Amino acid sequence: MAAWRRFSLRSRSGAAPVAAVPSGPRAGYHPALRPFGWLLLKEFRELAASRAFWLLLLIIGPLAGHGFITAVETYAEASGIHGGPAALAQGLSPLDGIFVPSFGAYDLAATLLFPFVAIRLISAEKSSGAWKLMLQSPASMPSMLLAKGVALLGGWMIAWIPGLLAVALWKLYSGSVYFPELGNLLLGHLLRVILACGVAVAAAAVAGNAASAAIATLGFTVGTWALEFVAAGRGGLLEKIASYTPTSALRIFEQGEFRLNTVLVTLLLGVAGFTIAAVWLQPRRTVFRQASATLAVVLTFAAAIAAISFLHPSWDLSENRRNSFPPADEAALARIREPLRITVNLAPEDPRLLDLDQEILSKLVRVVPHVEIDYAGRSRTGLFEGSQEHYGEIWYRLGARQVMSHSTTPEIVLETIYNLAGIAPPSHAGEIPYQGHPLAAEPAGAAWIFYLLWPLVVMIGGWIQFHERS
Amino acid sequence: MLLQAKGISKHYGTHAVLQKVSFSVREGELLGLIGPNGAGKTTLFECLAALIPADSGEVFFHGATLPAARRKHALFYLPDGIRPWADQPVSFALSFFEALYARPRGSAASLADSLKLAPLLHAHIGSLSKGEAKRVLLALGLLTPHPLLLLDEPFDGLDFRQTRDVMNLLRSIPGHGRTLFLSIHQLTDAARVCDRLVLLSRGCVAGEGTLPELRAQAGLADGGLEEVFLALT
Repeated sequence: MAAWRRFSLRSRSGAAPVAAVPSGPRAGYHPALRPFGWLLLKEFRELAASRAFWLLLLIIGPLAGHGFITAVETYAEASGIHGGPAALAQGLSPLDGIFVPSFGAYDLAATLLFPFVAIRLISAEKSSGAWKLMLQSPASMPSMLLAKGVALLGGWMIAWIPGLLAVALWKLYSGSVYFPELGNLLLGHLLRVILACGVAVAAAAVAGNAASAAIATLGFTVGTWALEFVAAGRGGLLEKIASYTPTSALRIFEQGEFRLNTVLVTLLLGVAGFTIAAVWLQPRRTVFRQASATLAVVLTFAAAIAAISFLHPSWDLSENRRNSFPPADEAALARIREPLRITVNLAPEDPRLLDLDQEILSKLVRVVPHVEIDYAGRSRTGLFEGSQEHYGEIWYRLGARQVMSHSTTPEIVLETIYNLAGIAPPSHAGEIPYQGHPLAAEPAGAAWIFYLLWPLVVMIGGWIQFHERS
Repeated sequence: MLLQAKGISKHYGTHAVLQKVSFSVREGELLGLIGPNGAGKTTLFECLAALIPADSGEVFFHGATLPAARRKHALFYLPDGIRPWADQPVSFALSFFEALYARPRGSAASLADSLKLAPLLHAHIGSLSKGEAKRVLLALGLLTPHPLLLLDEPFDGLDFRQTRDVMNLLRSIPGHGRTLFLSIHQLTDAARVCDRLVLLSRGCVAGEGTLPELRAQAGLADGGLEEVFLALT
């Protein structure tokens, strides 16, 4: 009877007569856990019983650890360890130098490992017949899928432990941690995995078995890579769509920027995956009805995403303000009330356009109230546009006034805009530039933790979980 | 009348699995759905439970139409041959169902005792034999509170002694206000346990009633269910 005690139930002594089986439901006998709590418990237990999850935990420690150790060593070299030449201190940011490479393993895991954990949570119930029982239970479809989603996120949080250990170790080495940018990076990874879960859960619901679902999920990932590749050479709408692929979206958080539209679109894409899963897991529907409902879901979410993509609020959470102009410039630019129209005659693969986009346009969009950018380059590389009359010109139009410049240097472009707007260039006196955080530290103890201790803890946990069954 | 099914049809492509199946279930009875393998018993149960869409037909509960979306409030269907939550111990699956359906504490333990599951409580469902898994499934089904319980092949995989015990258990249930509808392909088992029978052959209802009523429909003076079934199909 020990098993009953484990689950807070007591067997009546002796053989119970069948008459003891009650005939009606009575609420309130499990005050500690409401039905949703039990759904959650079931999903967590199923997650813990998943070999794919334990494999993920086993692999993620050394992967994150390797990223961290390499990053600390490189950072130390750049900081002039062993008396070597040091890089400019302004270039030494822990976000780029330590946190992004340490958490890089999680992008890999969210792409190639975690989808299998998510797929199992659906496919195992479908193939074992458990789903037929669940469909008849009092639990609603949203609550069942929500429980699965929460359990998956819980599992992902456990997988985060090595990454968070890396942050703790960095702090222990006297490294600098700027929490807004670190929190933003973690949010990016969280959204990345919500999207991965949505795709995997939808694939598992639609596909007949786990193998087909895995192929569909990997197909989606490869598809997003292809989209990014194609969009890089085309620009325009395709480039805008490609900016919401998992890798592109994560890159924004890795740059220390919090963009409202990226957050909402990624979240919506994840929710869309779960909604499609709900459509296909619902019983008593013909394939035609399921396909129609899926199309309706896709169109609804596409419309919502299109609307959200016009939201421009964003915040620069990086410590070195890499996504912002100096505060004085931002204050001056914010005073421009007329719509600023910029026509860029550069091809998408022209490196000058990349500079202009990263160093000027993306920052302008965040501070000038009304900015309209027209990418007028028509070819992919610009190699054959070079001889055209206007290629390379960047036109700035404010009301009836317009001016042309070839420069992609921030200082020159800002001066051009100030002249156009009739605003005096602000003074930068008193502004303290980012000082950087050089640190010539050895990754002491990290190898022991990530290559030995973590795998050992995971293997012991896995052994406790699985040895009862063997 | 607890439940009435009228004109239920189901096709897979051009193959008609169920053709205008109509029958009724009386309150508190133990009704058997009998027929050979491939007669459409499981498909009929899944259509009744609204797990798959029927092409046509209606279901009435206490005389009122029971739409597909509300079937799970009136009846529970326990499929045959499933192995739910194979990685979980038996005790968890029972506790989970007890909690999910807000049954009084101890219900699962009582059923585990009745179905002699006590030695299996620690075992993972995936490691159970066919007969043991069947008893666990029966316990899960009996933990549900629905007025009508549809059990697909409840004796499949059970040995003689277990079959007898489960029969006794099932026979005692209608006395507690629940109605059972069992799909059985073994005619001898069906004749022993059921009050009334629905004979299903090639997706059509070939007869419905008690054994004497079916005998009369078949024009036989005597004989067992086997003879009656052969005469009617």
